[in-house]
Amino acid sequence: MQVAVRVSYRLRNKMKSYHDIVGDGGSGILEQVAEHRTRIADGLAGVRHLVAVGSGKGGVGKSTLTLHLAGALRARGLRIAILDADFNGPSQARMAGVQGALFVPGSHKVSLPRTSNGIGVFSMGSVIPESQALEFESAAQGESQTWRATREFALLGEILGSFEWGALDLLMFDLPPGAERTVQYADFLGPCTSFLLVTIPSEVARGVVARSVAALSKGPNRILGYVENMSGYYCRDCNAIKPLFMSSETPRLGIPCLGTVPFDPELARFCDGGISFAELGDTTIRRALDDVAQQLLESLI
Amino acid sequence: MKFLCVPCDTPMKLQSVGPPERGSLSIVYSCPECGYEMAMLTNAYETQAVQSLGVRIGPEGGTKTSDASACPFAAMIPGTEDGQAAEATPVRWTAAAEARLANIPEFVRPMARAGIERYARDNGCLEVDEKILDAARDFFGM
Repeated sequence: MQVAVRVSYRLRNKMKSYHDIVGDGGSGILEQVAEHRTRIADGLAGVRHLVAVGSGKGGVGKSTLTLHLAGALRARGLRIAILDADFNGPSQARMAGVQGALFVPGSHKVSLPRTSNGIGVFSMGSVIPESQALEFESAAQGESQTWRATREFALLGEILGSFEWGALDLLMFDLPPGAERTVQYADFLGPCTSFLLVTIPSEVARGVVARSVAALSKGPNRILGYVENMSGYYCRDCNAIKPLFMSSETPRLGIPCLGTVPFDPELARFCDGGISFAELGDTTIRRALDDVAQQLLESLI
Repeated sequence: MKFLCVPCDTPMKLQSVGPPERGSLSIVYSCPECGYEMAMLTNAYETQAVQSLGVRIGPEGGTKTSDASACPFAAMIPGTEDGQAAEATPVRWTAAAEARLANIPEFVRPMARAGIERYARDNGCLEVDEKILDAARDFFGM
């Protein structure tokens, strides 16, 4: 009976719909979300290029390439920062040597920790020890599948809006694995963010990267190209690059190849020890990374 | 989400937000025309959905959906205990330095406080002011 009365009341009076009402009655949620967006945009106003390094596949060397491409670009005199967006498996803090970084409050924002060669780095690895996993308080007592991604993107927004990114030529995002995550980051970071994808000479990896290409191609973000990492391994004894994977087929990803980088155990040691690109010396790997950095720069022009 | 007083066809206004209790928020709205009040009682999923956006709810945007004083990572951060630096000698903070600290995200605040206090002690200071913050910034090449 009550329902019938209400329905007839609505039909008679044409009650207001959601969009007829200005504001939200005082909760201010939409305004706060808009404020967060403005704060992010203001914080990134001095950044010329936003480049997200992704893949879709885990373990292909996204973080290693991100850090060392940043090093190669920094060596060219560019102002570079890295945001390690892999909050659940952050590796940039260790690799960049900023695990014990001090966070100093500036006049309005937090100063960004820097590597010895001047690359600004934010990584959750500077905040949380490696022996601990990232956890959030939850009213839902678990059930993280229903809210976790939203919380992580809110955290990303907080980081973008709260740190002093300043004037940069390039801000590089080291993305977590997952083809769907790559697209979520594209949506969050907006159409001005370009993507660099990383693969390895394995059909499995190429297949996953191809899915990322397909997913990103539906949106407005530019895909700069891909880098084939672990493209053979560098044998220091022979001073030669030898095959690492049996696959010899050229990837058909439909995007430009910005270069190939062989695997080098010495580079892995540098990463574990937080040793910078500047100390790499004139090696085959450094030249390969330099070539990719040059291609990356040219693709951004 | 918006609430409409159907008899008055008037948007209702948020009046108060009760603190989270066992994952539930009590949010009271009233109709400015007839004064009718109603409460939205959220379940834990709804509370968490809003909490995950990192926003505050309240008449002045002042009630956070989680405990606003707590750093969500406090228990994970070394050198802190319940968000406070666990150091023996207390270090005072000037109001201006505290204000700068308040500007930074909660999740790095305990770590920043502990690190700055350590830096101040190492430099023979038991008070953190803006000069100490700027000196720390310069010292660490930021």
